[in-house]
Parts: sequence; C-alpha cells; structure tokens
Amino acid sequence: MTKRRMFLRMVTASLLRRRSRMLIALLSIGIGATILAGMVTIYYDVPRQMRAQMRSYGANMLLMPAEGETLDSEKLAAALHKLPEDALVGASPYRYVRLDMTSRQQSFTTAGTDFEQVRKTSPYFSVEGSYPEAPREVLVGREIAGTIGVKVGSDMELTWQPAARDADGSAEDDRVPGAVLSGSAEGFGKQMVYVTATLDGEAKIAEISIDASTQTPEYGGRAQTEPAFAAQFIGKALPLEMEKDIDALSGATVTSAAVVEALNAARAADAAAGAGPSGQPKTTRYRVTGILVTGGEEEGYVFMSTDDLITLTGEDKLDVAELSISADEAQLNAYAEALTGDGIMARLVKRVTKSETAVLGKLQALVFLVTVVVLILTMICVSTTMMAVVSERRREIGLRKALGASDNSIRGEFLGEGMFLGLLGGLMGAVLGFVFAQVVSVNVFHASIVFRPLLLPVTVLVSMVIAAASCLMPIKRAVAIDPAIVLKGE
Amino acid sequence: MALLELKNISKIYGELKALDNVSIHVDKGEWVAIMGPSGSGKSTMMNIIGCMDKPTKGEVLLDGEDISKLPGKRLTDIRRDKIGLIFQQFHMVTYLTAVENVMVSQYYHSMPDEAEALEALGRVGLRERAKHLPSQLSGGEQQRVCVARALINHPELILADEPTGNLDEANENIVLDLFRQLHREGTTLIVVTHDPEVAEAAQRTIVLEHGKVAREVVNENFVE
Repeated sequence: MTKRRMFLRMVTASLLRRRSRMLIALLSIGIGATILAGMVTIYYDVPRQMRAQMRSYGANMLLMPAEGETLDSEKLAAALHKLPEDALVGASPYRYVRLDMTSRQQSFTTAGTDFEQVRKTSPYFSVEGSYPEAPREVLVGREIAGTIGVKVGSDMELTWQPAARDADGSAEDDRVPGAVLSGSAEGFGKQMVYVTATLDGEAKIAEISIDASTQTPEYGGRAQTEPAFAAQFIGKALPLEMEKDIDALSGATVTSAAVVEALNAARAADAAAGAGPSGQPKTTRYRVTGILVTGGEEEGYVFMSTDDLITLTGEDKLDVAELSISADEAQLNAYAEALTGDGIMARLVKRVTKSETAVLGKLQALVFLVTVVVLILTMICVSTTMMAVVSERRREIGLRKALGASDNSIRGEFLGEGMFLGLLGGLMGAVLGFVFAQVVSVNVFHASIVFRPLLLPVTVLVSMVIAAASCLMPIKRAVAIDPAIVLKGE
Repeated sequence: MALLELKNISKIYGELKALDNVSIHVDKGEWVAIMGPSGSGKSTMMNIIGCMDKPTKGEVLLDGEDISKLPGKRLTDIRRDKIGLIFQQFHMVTYLTAVENVMVSQYYHSMPDEAEALEALGRVGLRERAKHLPSQLSGGEQQRVCVARALINHPELILADEPTGNLDEANENIVLDLFRQLHREGTTLIVVTHDPEVAEAAQRTIVLEHGKVAREVVNENFVE
C-alpha cells in the first residue's frame, strides 16, 4: 500500500466513521456552496431575466430616417435583420399624419403602426376595449375620445387631405398619381362595403381588395371570401358596369353592385379632382375598438394600422420605429452603431437604458454582497466546527505526533479532511444551488434558468478553498499540541 | 554497550526540580524498569527518553548520539525511527481498525504494509480482530494492538509507560509475556511502572525518588 492510499484511507475513515461532527462541517460547507452556486447563477442570470422584465418600461432605441432620407417598411425590415432574433423584443413602426374629422371640424394626429408590435414595445399601454384587429379599426386616445365623445364601438370618419402637410411638416410631393383607388358604397342593409384597387400603368386594375365584412357571410360576405368574384376585376378599366363587366354573386346582387359602385365612385371622384387619386381628399369610416389610456401624450392621438394608413394616404412611409431590445447598455450601443447607415439613424432612449443599467447594477451588487456574507459565515461555521474537531482529537493528534508524525503531516491530514469536505460540500452545493436558483427564478421571474457547466468546477473549487482556509486556525492549534501532555496517563 | 545513557540530567520547572542530576544507562537488549511514586520524576524521565521533552541540563545519548540539544523536528525523526511507545491508556485512533492503527505507525515511519501489520497483530494474538474498531476491543486487546504498533517498525527501544496500569491480571500477564518475547528477540525495553510485579519481570529496576535515583536493583530471579 502506498502512503497516498493510506492517507486517503485515514482521511475518509475519519470522515465516514466520525459522522456526527463531520456532518455538521459538511452541512455548513454544503449550504454555503449551495447559496454560492445559487447566487452566482442568479447573479449571471438576473440581468437576462430582469432585462426582459424591464422591457415593460418601453422602447429603448429609436430608428429614424437619416437626414434627407426616408424610411419605409422594407428598409425597416432590412435593418431589423441585423439584430439577433432573441434580443429583439419588439419593433413598432410609426407614421404620423394629420387627419380631419370634418363632421366635428377637428383634426387629429393619427399614427399608423403595427398593433402586435406595439403590445411588445409598449406593454404599459392600457386599452379600454380591445386593440384593432380587422382593417378600418382604430384606437383613440382618451383625450380625443373625451373631446369628440366617441366610445368603443362608435364609428368615425377621417379624411386625408393630400394637399395638407404631414404631421411632421414635410410636404407631400413624391407620390405616384393614380396608383391606388379606394372607395366605399352602401351594400345590403345599408352597411358599407369597402374596396381598394391598385391600378397599373394603363389604368387597369392590377390588384383588388374587398372588405365585405359588414355583409351577411353566406351571401354578400362572399364578395370578400370568394377569390373568383374578385378575379373578375383584374385587368379591367374603370368605370365598370354590372352584368356587362362583372357578374353578380348569386344571392348577393346588392353587395356585388356596391363593390362596383364603390370603385366607380372612387374613379369619378378622382377624375373630378383632376389630379389623380392622390390629389384629392379621401374619407374612410373607421370603427373604434378601444380607447387608449397611457397617461401620456399618446392619449391625444388616433392609432390605426400601418396598412389602413397606407390605404388612406397611398404611401408607405415611416417617421420612426420604436425598438425594444433586451441587452445591456454596451450591447445596445453596439447595436445602434450597426443599425445606423443605409439611410437610417439609430439612437438610444437614454432615460430607459440608464435607469435599467442602474437598477441591474444595484441588484447585482446586492447579490454579490449576500454571497460574500454567506461565504464568510460558512467559513466561520466550518472553522468553528474544525476547531471543535481539533480539541476533540487532541489525544489522537498527540498520538500521531508520538508515532512520528511531523508538523507537516498533521497539517496535511487536517487540510486533506477539510478539502475532502469541501469537495463533497461543493458537489452537493453545485447541484442544490442550481435547484435553488431555479426555484427562485421560477417564483420571482417566472422563467427557468440555464445551467452553466462551469458552475460545477467553480463551486467545488471555491468550496475547497473556503474549507481549506477555514482549517488554517484549527491546524495551527493541532500543530501546537504537545504529545507528552495529552498522552500522559492519569 | 549502552544504547541509552543519561548523563547528569536535570529538568527544572521554575522552582521545582523534576529531575535532579540523574545519570542512568541502559544497555542494548536490556530490560529495565523505572519505578517510583508519583512526583518522583518518572514521567519526566519517560518524556525525555521518548524524545518528547528535553532536559534543562545534562546529556542524553541514544545510540551514542547526544539528542539533548536537538531541535523538536529532529527529535520527532529519532522518535519515529528508533523508539516504539506504549501508553497506559493505549491511545488508539478511534476511527481506524486495529490493523489500520498499526499501519499508521508504518505510515509515519516508512511505508504502510497491510500484510506486515497483520503479521504483527498475529504476534500479539489478534490476527482475527484486525478489522475491529478500538471500541469493539477489550482493554487488553487494545493494549496488545498498541504493542504490535510499537514493534512494527523494529525500534531499537520500546518505551512503555505503565503498560499494565489499566489491565486486569490476565491481560497484564499476556502483555508481560509479549515483553519477554521481545526481550528474547533482543529488543531493548524500558518500562515505567509503579507496580512491583511488573518491575520484577525486568532484569533491573531503577527506583526514582524526589527527582533522583534512589537505588538500582538487579532482579536475581530474572528468567531469560
């Protein structure tokens, strides 16, 4: 048998056959290691978790067209591709225009946006009613709703004045005339049917979109749901005539006629204005699905979908995009740098990013502090236990010395026992710590934690170091034991 | 030839002279008993011979080498290499088995060798009890393990402090028989005791009183 094997045999025998005392030391190291592993996991995982939580503060980055450039959906989509998918929480495009409500002699700033994204970038938006889902549905800010007295379910007509300027004051002069026509006409039961058609270069219909959702689904509603009906319009020039150009849907002549009438009316209005479809005011009736309550300036706006706004104005143009990105400040800066270019300028919303960084910093400092305190407590506990172990084993230590153990052998044996405890406690702690962190994370952040493989060796190593450090004082005592005194018979 | 020689040694604790100018010598292979009432300096002498203490004055020659001025570390080496110790209270490592306790001695001396340790246990008649923990052994058995442990490294000197003090007569005889065996094999034995029967088993008895050698008695009845 080698000396090393005998050493291990003695160390393990000491731990295994003297259970109660060693169990206390093992338990304190194990608990210390558990807290350590748990805290370290939380320390590194909390920013990730918290960042997702903090995204409820709203967008932390804005994308705007660079000086002299314009922004549209396509450019925005291209820019967003530069961001890692898991970092991007949401990206809401915004276009602001002034729309008139002629019946009330009022005009409102109207934002065209993507409601699905708005819910992600501005989770604090509170909507009485619901977010718009279908076309021609709008969200009205509480302030406006109060002024004009609209409620959820009310209809409102908004008019786009092409001659007017955009909300941001820039002149509208870059539109292609005649590209899009849209109009409405009364269908069955005096309910409106809406039609939007895109004309090609020869003024023939290239695309058509019919909204007959107000009609009875099995009859008039089929104007929208049966592609064959819409297909009849493609390639035909306006005005159209029922029966000659277009076959009515069986059992839905009123609705079919309304579609044709809406198109013809739009064409007529266009011709009357003499400046193409974009040159004349366009009015569309919208259904209010919700009142927006934010406590901020958003309450003075009307919100509609980007598609509705494009239909109304005939232009795909964005003023700004609000991005909510899960990343720390340094990363955000890097992303902003990457996104800037190609006619886009990105900047951070400092108010949000700064407060996020500050809160996370404080939280991490707290976790760090708790970890250090726990480690110190562990050390005190292990040290005390080992101290008791040494006085309990004074005779044995004296005997070993009498048998010829050098001071270094005694040191080695106690250190060996301590490190062995550290190893066991560390292994126990790494596993329990992960479970602990998982429980904390699930209960506090409602998200599970990623296991870091590095955690195992680090926890074991730290536990061993702590256990060894805790043994220093007790070892000093052990070495000072005089065999002649402790072995003396009474 | 003297294996151990104490030349005019004194051990003084403040005012108290535990040993006062004592000289003794023990020949190689000799079996000597040291007797005396408590406070006579027996323990002090035992500690000095066992390299666990140093005299205030005088020389201690072990194997011709003066060890009285050596630093503690060297004394540990000499104790380990040349002396086998046996104590009144046996002193075993409580969480190690009998054979492991013997091996501890080998471990500090040179190399642990289980077979050899088992053989030593065989010599003291405890081959079958090798895997028992001290708590599972009787006092006599424990002391026999300690004898095995003391002889395992073939020390030049076995130093026993009241080896039978905690034993009944039957076990005392077993231990004394073991000593006779060791003596026959040429091992030098120094047995500190206050039991005249144990002292009589030795070849010569040195009697200490008040830190001085009161008398030396050669045992006429000693049987080889």
